Amino acid sequence: MTTPADGPENSGSGGTVASEFASVAAAVDATANGPRLRLEDLRTGKVRFLDALELETIVWLPDGHLTQLLDPSADRWREGPG
Amino acid sequence: MPVDGSGQVPVLAADRPDYRRLIERARVHSSVYTDPQIFADELARIWYRTWVFVGHASEVAQPGDYIRTTIGLQDVIMARGTDGRVHLLLNRCAHRGNLVCEAQRGNAKSFRCPYHGWTYRNTGELIGFPFNQGYGGKGTIEAELSLARVPRVAEYQGFVFGSLAPDGPDLAEHLGEAARELDRLARLSPEGRVELTAGWLRHRTRANWKLLAENETDGYHPQFVHGSIFSVTGSPIGALYSDKSAAVTRSLGRGHSENDLRPEFRKAGEPMRWFGTTADRVPAYAAAMRAAHGPAAERILIEGAPHVMIFPNLFVAEIQVFVIQPLSAGECVQHSTAVQLAGAPELNRRMVSQSVGSVGPAGMLLADDTEMYERNQRGVAMLAPEWLDLRRGLARERIDERGLRIGGATDETGMRGFWQHYLSLMEGA
Repeated sequence: MTTPADGPENSGSGGTVASEFASVAAAVDATANGPRLRLEDLRTGKVRFLDALELETIVWLPDGHLTQLLDPSADRWREGPG
Repeated sequence: MPVDGSGQVPVLAADRPDYRRLIERARVHSSVYTDPQIFADELARIWYRTWVFVGHASEVAQPGDYIRTTIGLQDVIMARGTDGRVHLLLNRCAHRGNLVCEAQRGNAKSFRCPYHGWTYRNTGELIGFPFNQGYGGKGTIEAELSLARVPRVAEYQGFVFGSLAPDGPDLAEHLGEAARELDRLARLSPEGRVELTAGWLRHRTRANWKLLAENETDGYHPQFVHGSIFSVTGSPIGALYSDKSAAVTRSLGRGHSENDLRPEFRKAGEPMRWFGTTADRVPAYAAAMRAAHGPAAERILIEGAPHVMIFPNLFVAEIQVFVIQPLSAGECVQHSTAVQLAGAPELNRRMVSQSVGSVGPAGMLLADDTEMYERNQRGVAMLAPEWLDLRRGLARERIDERGLRIGGATDETGMRGFWQHYLSLMEGA
Protein backbone atom coordinates (compact mmCIF):
# COMPACT_ATOMS: atom_id res chain seq x y z
CA MET A 1 0.00 0.00 0.00
CA THR A 2 1.51 3.32 -1.04
CA THR A 3 0.82 6.20 1.27
CA PRO A 4 2.25 9.70 1.60
CA ALA A 5 4.37 8.40 4.45
CA ASP A 6 6.23 6.18 1.99
CA GLY A 7 8.07 9.22 0.71
CA PRO A 8 11.59 9.84 1.99
CA GLU A 9 10.66 13.47 2.74
CA ASN A 10 8.67 12.24 5.74
CA SER A 11 11.55 10.30 7.20
CA GLY A 12 13.48 11.39 10.24
CA SER A 13 17.21 11.21 10.68
CA GLY A 14 18.83 8.04 9.48
CA GLY A 15 21.47 6.69 7.20
CA THR A 16 22.32 4.17 4.55
CA VAL A 17 23.65 0.69 5.15
CA ALA A 18 25.31 -0.47 1.93
CA SER A 19 27.56 -3.21 0.67
CA GLU A 20 28.39 -4.58 -2.73
CA PHE A 21 25.27 -6.78 -2.39
CA ALA A 22 22.54 -4.49 -1.13
CA SER A 23 21.81 -0.91 -0.22
CA VAL A 24 19.17 0.00 2.38
CA ALA A 25 18.24 3.37 3.83
CA ALA A 26 17.06 3.33 7.45
CA ALA A 27 15.27 6.13 9.30
CA VAL A 28 12.93 6.58 12.24
CA ASP A 29 9.59 7.63 10.78
CA ALA A 30 7.30 9.93 12.75
CA THR A 31 4.23 10.15 10.52
CA ALA A 32 2.16 7.46 12.25
CA ASN A 33 0.60 7.28 15.73
CA GLY A 34 3.94 6.10 17.11
CA PRO A 35 7.54 5.92 15.88
CA ARG A 36 8.57 3.11 13.53
CA LEU A 37 11.63 2.21 11.51
CA ARG A 38 11.39 2.98 7.81
CA LEU A 39 13.57 0.76 5.62
CA GLU A 40 13.97 1.37 1.91
CA ASP A 41 15.69 -1.00 -0.50
CA LEU A 42 17.45 1.67 -2.54
CA ARG A 43 17.87 -0.65 -5.53
CA THR A 44 14.13 -1.19 -6.01
CA GLY A 45 12.49 1.56 -3.96
CA LYS A 46 10.54 -1.02 -1.94
CA VAL A 47 9.69 0.30 1.53
CA ARG A 48 8.93 -1.56 4.76
CA PHE A 49 8.01 -0.20 8.16
CA LEU A 50 8.96 -2.11 11.31
CA ASP A 51 7.43 -1.37 14.70
CA ALA A 52 9.20 -1.76 18.02
CA LEU A 53 7.92 -5.27 18.76
CA GLU A 54 9.02 -6.47 15.31
CA LEU A 55 12.47 -4.95 15.82
CA GLU A 56 12.82 -6.60 19.22
CA THR A 57 11.85 -9.89 17.61
CA ILE A 58 14.55 -9.46 14.95
CA VAL A 59 17.13 -8.67 17.62
CA TRP A 60 16.35 -11.97 19.32
CA LEU A 61 16.17 -14.03 16.10
CA PRO A 62 18.74 -16.86 16.23
CA ASP A 63 21.40 -16.54 13.52
CA GLY A 64 20.31 -19.82 12.03
CA HIS A 65 16.75 -18.61 11.65
CA LEU A 66 17.91 -15.44 9.95
CA THR A 67 20.12 -17.49 7.63
CA GLN A 68 17.06 -19.45 6.53
CA LEU A 69 15.37 -16.18 5.55
CA LEU A 70 18.44 -15.23 3.49
CA ASP A 71 17.95 -18.22 1.18
CA PRO A 72 16.90 -16.49 -2.09
CA SER A 73 14.28 -19.17 -2.62
CA ALA A 74 12.74 -18.64 0.83
CA ASP A 75 10.47 -15.81 -0.27
CA ARG A 76 11.56 -13.26 -2.85
CA TRP A 77 12.71 -15.57 -5.61
CA ARG A 78 10.59 -18.55 -4.75
CA GLU A 79 9.17 -20.36 -7.77
CA GLY A 80 5.88 -22.18 -7.90
CA PRO A 81 3.51 -22.89 -5.02
CA GLY A 82 6.11 -24.86 -3.05
CA MET B 1 -18.56 -13.33 22.81
CA PRO B 2 -20.40 -11.64 25.64
CA VAL B 3 -22.26 -9.05 23.63
CA ASP B 4 -24.16 -7.97 26.70
CA GLY B 5 -21.10 -8.35 28.91
CA SER B 6 -21.60 -5.25 30.99
CA GLY B 7 -19.92 -6.79 34.00
CA GLN B 8 -23.30 -6.45 35.73
CA VAL B 9 -25.35 -9.28 37.12
CA PRO B 10 -27.93 -10.08 34.44
CA VAL B 11 -31.31 -8.56 35.17
CA LEU B 12 -34.33 -10.80 34.89
CA ALA B 13 -36.91 -9.63 32.39
CA ALA B 14 -39.60 -9.67 35.03
CA ASP B 15 -37.62 -7.19 37.13
CA ARG B 16 -37.15 -4.66 34.37
CA PRO B 17 -38.74 -1.24 34.79
CA ASP B 18 -41.83 -0.45 32.81
CA TYR B 19 -40.31 2.16 30.55
CA ARG B 20 -43.66 3.22 29.10
CA ARG B 21 -44.57 4.52 32.54
CA LEU B 22 -41.28 6.39 32.91
CA ILE B 23 -41.15 7.99 29.47
CA GLU B 24 -44.18 9.85 28.25
CA ARG B 25 -44.51 12.05 25.21
CA ALA B 26 -44.06 15.31 27.09
CA ARG B 27 -42.31 14.29 30.31
CA VAL B 28 -39.65 11.90 31.60
CA HIS B 29 -39.29 10.43 35.07
CA SER B 30 -36.19 11.44 37.09
CA SER B 31 -35.22 7.85 37.79
CA VAL B 32 -34.03 7.32 34.21
CA TYR B 33 -31.10 9.62 35.05
CA THR B 34 -30.26 8.15 38.46
CA ASP B 35 -31.19 4.46 38.67
CA PRO B 36 -28.17 2.09 38.38
CA GLN B 37 -30.44 -0.71 37.17
CA ILE B 38 -31.64 1.45 34.29
CA PHE B 39 -28.03 2.28 33.45
CA ALA B 40 -27.19 -1.44 33.33
CA ASP B 41 -30.22 -1.93 31.10
CA GLU B 42 -29.02 0.87 28.79
CA LEU B 43 -25.63 -0.81 28.43
CA ALA B 44 -27.28 -4.02 27.28
CA ARG B 45 -30.00 -2.51 25.12
CA ILE B 46 -28.38 0.61 23.70
CA TRP B 47 -24.61 0.71 24.06
CA TYR B 48 -23.99 -2.98 23.40
CA ARG B 49 -26.57 -3.25 20.67
CA THR B 50 -26.95 -0.18 18.50
CA TRP B 51 -24.27 1.54 16.38
CA VAL B 52 -21.91 3.61 18.52
CA PHE B 53 -19.32 6.09 17.22
CA VAL B 54 -15.82 4.91 18.13
CA GLY B 55 -13.41 7.16 16.23
CA HIS B 56 -12.48 8.60 12.88
CA ALA B 57 -10.56 6.80 10.17
CA SER B 58 -8.06 9.67 10.10
CA GLU B 59 -7.04 8.77 13.66
CA VAL B 60 -5.53 5.53 12.37
CA ALA B 61 -4.25 6.77 9.03
CA GLN B 62 -1.25 4.46 8.68
CA PRO B 63 -1.17 0.63 8.69
CA GLY B 64 -0.33 -0.41 12.25
CA ASP B 65 -1.81 2.74 13.79
CA TYR B 66 -4.10 2.12 16.74
CA ILE B 67 -6.02 4.11 19.33
CA ARG B 68 -7.88 3.09 22.47
CA THR B 69 -11.56 4.01 22.51
CA THR B 70 -14.78 2.77 24.11
CA ILE B 71 -18.23 1.35 23.47
CA GLY B 72 -20.17 1.92 26.66
CA LEU B 73 -17.93 0.49 29.41
CA GLN B 74 -16.00 -1.68 26.95
CA ASP B 75 -12.37 -0.75 26.29
CA VAL B 76 -11.91 -1.02 22.54
CA ILE B 77 -8.82 -0.98 20.31
CA MET B 78 -9.33 0.63 16.91
CA ALA B 79 -6.49 -0.46 14.62
CA ARG B 80 -5.65 -0.24 10.95
CA GLY B 81 -4.44 -3.56 9.63
CA THR B 82 -1.81 -4.05 6.96
CA ASP B 83 -4.81 -4.80 4.71
CA GLY B 84 -5.79 -1.13 5.10
CA ARG B 85 -9.02 -1.97 6.93
CA VAL B 86 -10.10 -0.64 10.30
CA HIS B 87 -10.57 -3.31 12.98
CA LEU B 88 -12.29 -3.00 16.35
CA LEU B 89 -11.10 -5.34 19.10
CA LEU B 90 -12.01 -5.63 22.75
CA ASN B 91 -8.93 -4.79 24.83
CA ARG B 92 -8.86 -8.02 26.82
CA CYS B 93 -6.32 -10.82 26.63
CA ALA B 94 -7.87 -14.21 25.84
CA HIS B 95 -5.67 -15.78 28.54
CA ARG B 96 -6.43 -14.13 31.88
CA GLY B 97 -8.40 -11.09 30.79
CA ASN B 98 -5.70 -8.46 31.24
CA LEU B 99 -5.79 -5.22 29.26
CA VAL B 100 -3.48 -5.76 26.29
CA CYS B 101 -2.94 -2.14 25.21
CA GLU B 102 -2.17 0.59 27.73
CA ALA B 103 -1.11 3.57 25.58
CA GLN B 104 -3.90 5.73 24.16
CA ARG B 105 -2.32 5.51 20.70
CA GLY B 106 0.63 4.02 18.91
CA ASN B 107 1.85 2.12 15.88
CA ALA B 108 2.21 -1.63 16.19
CA LYS B 109 1.23 -4.44 13.84
CA SER B 110 1.00 -6.79 16.79
CA PHE B 111 0.19 -6.45 20.48
CA ARG B 112 1.89 -8.30 23.35
CA CYS B 113 0.01 -8.65 26.63
CA PRO B 114 2.24 -7.43 29.47
CA TYR B 115 1.03 -10.14 31.85
CA HIS B 116 2.26 -13.41 30.25
CA GLY B 117 3.41 -12.26 26.82
CA TRP B 118 0.55 -13.58 24.72
CA THR B 119 0.93 -11.88 21.35
CA TYR B 120 -1.80 -10.98 18.85
CA ARG B 121 -1.97 -9.50 15.38
CA ASN B 122 -3.67 -6.11 15.30
CA THR B 123 -6.57 -7.89 13.59
CA GLY B 124 -7.11 -10.02 16.70
CA GLU B 125 -5.53 -13.40 15.78
CA LEU B 126 -3.39 -15.01 18.45
CA ILE B 127 0.17 -15.37 17.09
CA GLY B 128 1.51 -17.28 20.06
CA PHE B 129 2.62 -17.31 23.68
CA PRO B 130 5.80 -18.04 25.66
CA PHE B 131 6.79 -21.62 26.56
CA ASN B 132 4.16 -23.20 24.35
CA GLN B 133 4.92 -26.78 25.47
CA GLY B 134 2.62 -26.02 28.39
CA TYR B 135 -0.19 -26.00 25.84
CA GLY B 136 1.08 -28.99 23.87
CA GLY B 137 3.22 -26.96 21.44
CA LYS B 138 2.63 -24.64 18.53
CA GLY B 139 -0.72 -24.58 16.74
CA THR B 140 -2.76 -26.28 19.43
CA ILE B 141 -5.06 -23.63 20.89
CA GLU B 142 -4.23 -20.48 18.93
CA ALA B 143 -7.16 -20.85 16.53
CA GLU B 144 -9.75 -20.99 19.30
CA LEU B 145 -8.43 -17.98 21.21
CA SER B 146 -8.21 -14.44 19.89
CA LEU B 147 -8.94 -10.89 20.89
CA ALA B 148 -12.72 -10.50 20.64
CA ARG B 149 -13.77 -8.58 17.58
CA VAL B 150 -16.61 -6.09 17.60
CA PRO B 151 -18.97 -8.01 15.31
CA ARG B 152 -19.90 -5.10 13.06
CA VAL B 153 -17.73 -2.18 11.95
CA ALA B 154 -18.76 0.42 9.39
CA GLU B 155 -17.69 3.88 8.28
CA TYR B 156 -19.50 6.90 6.96
CA GLN B 157 -17.50 9.93 5.77
CA GLY B 158 -14.61 8.45 7.75
CA PHE B 159 -16.65 8.34 10.99
CA VAL B 160 -16.21 4.79 12.30
CA PHE B 161 -19.04 3.09 14.16
CA GLY B 162 -19.14 -0.28 15.90
CA SER B 163 -22.03 -2.47 16.96
CA LEU B 164 -21.64 -5.27 19.50
CA ALA B 165 -24.75 -6.92 18.11
CA PRO B 166 -24.01 -9.36 15.28
CA ASP B 167 -27.34 -8.53 13.64
CA GLY B 168 -29.61 -5.53 13.37
CA PRO B 169 -30.13 -2.46 11.21
CA ASP B 170 -27.06 -1.61 9.14
CA LEU B 171 -25.24 1.69 9.62
CA ALA B 172 -27.03 3.38 6.71
CA GLU B 173 -30.38 2.54 8.28
CA HIS B 174 -29.19 3.67 11.72
CA LEU B 175 -27.90 7.01 10.46
CA GLY B 176 -30.90 7.61 8.21
CA GLU B 177 -31.46 11.32 7.69
CA ALA B 178 -28.45 12.17 9.90
CA ALA B 179 -26.07 10.89 7.19
CA ARG B 180 -26.65 13.95 5.06
CA GLU B 181 -25.48 16.15 7.95
CA LEU B 182 -22.12 14.34 7.88
CA ASP B 183 -22.12 14.90 4.11
CA ARG B 184 -22.71 18.58 4.78
CA LEU B 185 -19.67 18.68 7.05
CA ALA B 186 -17.46 16.85 4.53
CA ARG B 187 -18.42 19.12 1.64
CA LEU B 188 -16.96 22.05 3.58
CA SER B 189 -13.57 20.52 2.79
CA PRO B 190 -12.19 21.46 -0.63
CA GLU B 191 -11.16 17.81 -0.85
CA GLY B 192 -14.42 16.48 0.57
CA ARG B 193 -12.79 14.91 3.63
CA VAL B 194 -13.10 15.49 7.37
CA GLU B 195 -10.13 14.68 9.60
CA LEU B 196 -10.18 14.41 13.39
CA THR B 197 -6.46 14.81 13.95
CA ALA B 198 -6.25 17.83 16.28
CA GLY B 199 -6.21 15.68 19.43
CA TRP B 200 -8.92 15.11 22.02
CA LEU B 201 -9.71 16.89 25.26
CA ARG B 202 -11.41 14.79 27.93
CA HIS B 203 -13.71 16.24 30.56
CA ARG B 204 -15.00 13.95 33.29
CA THR B 205 -18.54 15.05 34.08
CA ARG B 206 -20.67 14.11 37.07
CA ALA B 207 -23.90 13.77 35.11
CA ASN B 208 -25.94 11.14 33.33
CA TRP B 209 -25.00 10.80 29.64
CA LYS B 210 -28.56 11.53 28.50
CA LEU B 211 -28.53 15.03 29.97
CA LEU B 212 -25.72 15.78 27.51
CA ALA B 213 -27.36 14.09 24.54
CA GLU B 214 -30.57 16.06 25.15
CA ASN B 215 -28.77 19.35 25.63
CA GLU B 216 -26.78 19.17 22.40
CA THR B 217 -29.74 20.31 20.31
CA ASP B 218 -31.57 22.23 23.02
CA GLY B 219 -31.94 25.66 21.45
CA TYR B 220 -33.59 27.04 24.58
CA HIS B 221 -30.49 27.28 26.79
CA PRO B 222 -27.83 29.11 24.69
CA GLN B 223 -29.06 32.63 25.43
CA PHE B 224 -28.89 31.90 29.16
CA VAL B 225 -25.98 29.51 29.62
CA HIS B 226 -23.77 30.87 26.85
CA GLY B 227 -24.58 34.56 27.16
CA SER B 228 -21.06 35.31 28.38
CA ILE B 229 -19.20 33.76 25.42
CA PHE B 230 -21.63 35.32 22.95
CA SER B 231 -21.06 38.77 24.44
CA VAL B 232 -17.28 38.42 24.70
CA THR B 233 -16.88 37.19 21.12
CA GLY B 234 -19.59 39.36 19.58
CA SER B 235 -21.02 36.20 18.02
CA PRO B 236 -24.23 36.62 16.02
CA ILE B 237 -25.17 32.99 16.75
CA GLY B 238 -26.85 33.59 20.12
CA ALA B 239 -29.64 35.64 18.54
CA LEU B 240 -30.48 32.72 16.27
CA TYR B 241 -31.74 30.79 19.30
CA SER B 242 -34.84 32.83 20.02
CA ASP B 243 -38.56 32.75 19.31
CA LYS B 244 -38.04 35.28 16.51
CA SER B 245 -35.56 33.04 14.71
CA ALA B 246 -36.37 31.26 11.47
CA ALA B 247 -34.05 28.43 12.56
CA VAL B 248 -35.70 25.11 13.38
CA THR B 249 -35.13 22.16 15.67
CA ARG B 250 -35.56 18.95 13.69
CA SER B 251 -36.03 15.39 14.87
CA LEU B 252 -34.16 13.33 12.29
CA GLY B 253 -35.55 9.99 13.45
CA ARG B 254 -33.79 7.13 15.29
CA GLY B 255 -33.01 9.49 18.15
CA HIS B 256 -30.94 11.89 16.03
CA SER B 257 -31.72 15.62 16.00
CA GLU B 258 -30.39 18.93 14.79
CA ASN B 259 -30.61 22.66 15.20
CA ASP B 260 -30.92 23.81 11.60
CA LEU B 261 -29.71 27.41 11.42
CA ARG B 262 -29.66 27.51 7.62
CA PRO B 263 -32.90 29.49 7.25
CA GLU B 264 -31.21 32.36 9.10
CA PHE B 265 -27.93 32.06 7.23
CA ARG B 266 -29.77 32.00 3.89
CA LYS B 267 -31.61 35.17 4.86
CA ALA B 268 -28.31 36.89 5.64
CA GLY B 269 -26.76 35.47 2.45
CA GLU B 270 -23.19 36.05 3.66
CA PRO B 271 -20.56 33.36 3.05
CA MET B 272 -18.78 32.28 6.28
CA ARG B 273 -21.25 34.05 8.60
CA TRP B 274 -21.84 30.60 10.18
CA PHE B 275 -18.19 30.72 11.23
CA GLY B 276 -18.49 34.26 12.56
CA THR B 277 -16.33 35.73 9.82
CA THR B 278 -16.40 36.80 6.17
CA ALA B 279 -14.94 35.15 3.08
CA ASP B 280 -12.29 37.86 2.65
CA ARG B 281 -10.85 36.96 6.06
CA VAL B 282 -10.19 33.40 4.86
CA PRO B 283 -9.28 34.06 1.20
CA ALA B 284 -7.29 30.88 0.54
CA TYR B 285 -10.11 28.71 1.89
CA ALA B 286 -12.80 30.56 -0.08
CA ALA B 287 -10.73 30.29 -3.25
CA ALA B 288 -10.14 26.56 -2.73
CA MET B 289 -13.86 25.99 -2.18
CA ARG B 290 -14.80 27.96 -5.29
CA ALA B 291 -12.25 26.01 -7.31
CA ALA B 292 -13.59 22.71 -5.97
CA HIS B 293 -17.34 23.40 -6.11
CA GLY B 294 -17.78 26.10 -8.77
CA PRO B 295 -20.98 28.14 -8.48
CA ALA B 296 -22.32 25.79 -5.76
CA ALA B 297 -19.58 27.05 -3.41
CA GLU B 298 -21.56 30.18 -2.46
CA ARG B 299 -24.48 28.18 -1.09
CA ILE B 300 -22.16 25.80 0.75
CA LEU B 301 -20.25 28.68 2.33
CA ILE B 302 -23.49 30.43 3.31
CA GLU B 303 -25.17 27.36 4.84
CA GLY B 304 -22.12 26.23 6.79
CA ALA B 305 -21.67 23.24 9.06
CA PRO B 306 -24.26 21.05 10.78
CA HIS B 307 -25.27 21.09 14.43
CA VAL B 308 -26.37 17.50 14.81
CA MET B 309 -26.62 14.97 17.63
CA ILE B 310 -26.25 11.40 16.34
CA PHE B 311 -27.68 8.87 18.79
CA PRO B 312 -26.29 7.86 21.20
CA ASN B 313 -22.88 9.51 21.48
CA LEU B 314 -21.70 11.64 18.53
CA PHE B 315 -22.32 15.37 18.45
CA VAL B 316 -21.10 17.57 15.60
CA ALA B 317 -21.27 21.21 16.70
CA GLU B 318 -20.25 23.05 13.54
CA ILE B 319 -16.50 23.31 14.19
CA GLN B 320 -16.15 20.72 16.96
CA VAL B 321 -16.93 17.10 17.50
CA PHE B 322 -18.00 15.83 20.90
CA VAL B 323 -18.24 12.22 21.99
CA ILE B 324 -20.18 11.12 25.06
CA GLN B 325 -18.79 8.15 27.00
CA PRO B 326 -21.02 6.84 29.81
CA LEU B 327 -19.38 5.63 33.03
CA SER B 328 -22.32 5.12 35.38
CA ALA B 329 -25.81 6.50 35.98
CA GLY B 330 -24.25 9.63 37.44
CA GLU B 331 -21.02 10.07 35.51
CA CYS B 332 -19.69 10.32 31.98
CA VAL B 333 -16.77 11.68 29.97
CA GLN B 334 -17.04 14.33 27.28
CA HIS B 335 -14.40 14.03 24.57
CA SER B 336 -13.99 17.01 22.27
CA THR B 337 -11.84 17.92 19.29
CA ALA B 338 -11.71 20.57 16.59
CA VAL B 339 -13.00 19.60 13.15
CA GLN B 340 -10.22 19.62 10.57
CA LEU B 341 -11.03 19.81 6.87
CA ALA B 342 -8.64 18.32 4.29
CA GLY B 343 -7.23 21.02 2.04
CA ALA B 344 -8.23 23.88 4.36
CA PRO B 345 -5.17 24.75 6.53
CA GLU B 346 -6.27 28.37 6.90
CA LEU B 347 -9.65 27.37 8.35
CA ASN B 348 -8.17 24.51 10.36
CA ARG B 349 -5.93 26.83 12.36
CA ARG B 350 -8.91 29.00 13.22
CA MET B 351 -11.02 25.99 14.18
CA VAL B 352 -8.33 24.83 16.59
CA SER B 353 -8.00 28.25 18.22
CA GLN B 354 -11.78 28.66 18.44
CA SER B 355 -12.04 25.22 20.00
CA VAL B 356 -9.41 26.10 22.59
CA GLY B 357 -11.55 29.12 23.48
CA SER B 358 -14.77 27.11 23.70
CA VAL B 359 -13.84 23.65 25.00
CA GLY B 360 -10.22 24.01 26.19
CA PRO B 361 -9.25 23.90 29.86
CA ALA B 362 -10.10 27.61 30.20
CA GLY B 363 -12.76 27.55 27.50
CA MET B 364 -16.12 29.15 28.10
CA LEU B 365 -18.61 26.96 26.25
CA LEU B 366 -18.14 23.43 27.53
CA ALA B 367 -17.46 24.61 31.08
CA ASP B 368 -20.78 26.46 31.13
CA ASP B 369 -22.68 23.46 29.80
CA THR B 370 -20.93 21.13 32.23
CA GLU B 371 -21.88 23.32 35.16
CA MET B 372 -25.50 22.92 34.06
CA TYR B 373 -25.14 19.13 33.59
CA GLU B 374 -23.71 18.64 37.07
CA ARG B 375 -26.27 20.90 38.73
CA ASN B 376 -28.94 19.07 36.76
CA GLN B 377 -27.73 15.68 37.98
CA ARG B 378 -27.96 16.88 41.58
CA GLY B 379 -31.39 18.33 40.88
CA VAL B 380 -32.91 15.19 39.40
CA ALA B 381 -31.94 13.31 42.56
CA MET B 382 -34.41 15.46 44.54
CA LEU B 383 -37.63 13.71 45.48
CA ALA B 384 -40.12 16.12 43.91
CA PRO B 385 -41.34 17.06 41.42
CA GLU B 386 -40.62 13.60 40.04
CA TRP B 387 -40.79 14.51 36.37
CA LEU B 388 -38.79 16.55 33.84
CA ASP B 389 -40.98 18.55 31.50
CA LEU B 390 -40.58 18.11 27.74
CA ARG B 391 -43.60 19.90 26.33
CA ARG B 392 -41.97 23.05 24.97
CA GLY B 393 -43.22 23.69 21.43
CA LEU B 394 -45.36 20.56 21.31
CA ALA B 395 -48.39 22.50 20.09
CA ARG B 396 -46.53 24.20 17.25
CA GLU B 397 -44.64 21.23 15.82
CA ARG B 398 -45.16 20.36 12.19
CA ILE B 399 -43.94 17.95 9.55
CA ASP B 400 -41.53 19.40 7.00
CA GLU B 401 -41.22 18.67 3.29
CA ARG B 402 -38.88 15.74 4.07
CA GLY B 403 -41.50 14.19 6.35
CA LEU B 404 -39.51 15.06 9.48
CA ARG B 405 -40.87 16.64 12.64
CA ILE B 406 -39.70 20.20 13.22
CA GLY B 407 -40.25 22.80 15.89
CA GLY B 408 -39.06 26.33 16.56
CA ALA B 409 -35.44 27.16 17.29
CA THR B 410 -36.00 26.92 21.06
CA ASP B 411 -38.40 23.96 21.09
CA GLU B 412 -37.81 20.54 22.63
CA THR B 413 -38.60 18.64 19.44
CA GLY B 414 -35.15 17.01 19.35
CA MET B 415 -35.46 15.74 22.93
CA ARG B 416 -38.86 14.22 22.25
CA GLY B 417 -37.40 12.40 19.25
CA PHE B 418 -34.52 11.16 21.42
CA TRP B 419 -36.89 9.73 24.02
CA GLN B 420 -39.14 8.10 21.47
CA HIS B 421 -36.18 6.17 20.06
CA TYR B 422 -34.80 5.44 23.54
CA LEU B 423 -38.14 3.96 24.51
CA SER B 424 -38.23 1.75 21.40
CA LEU B 425 -34.80 0.32 22.28
CA MET B 426 -35.42 -0.10 26.00
CA GLU B 427 -38.80 -1.80 25.84
CA GLY B 428 -38.10 -4.00 22.82
CA ALA B 429 -37.64 -7.74 23.06
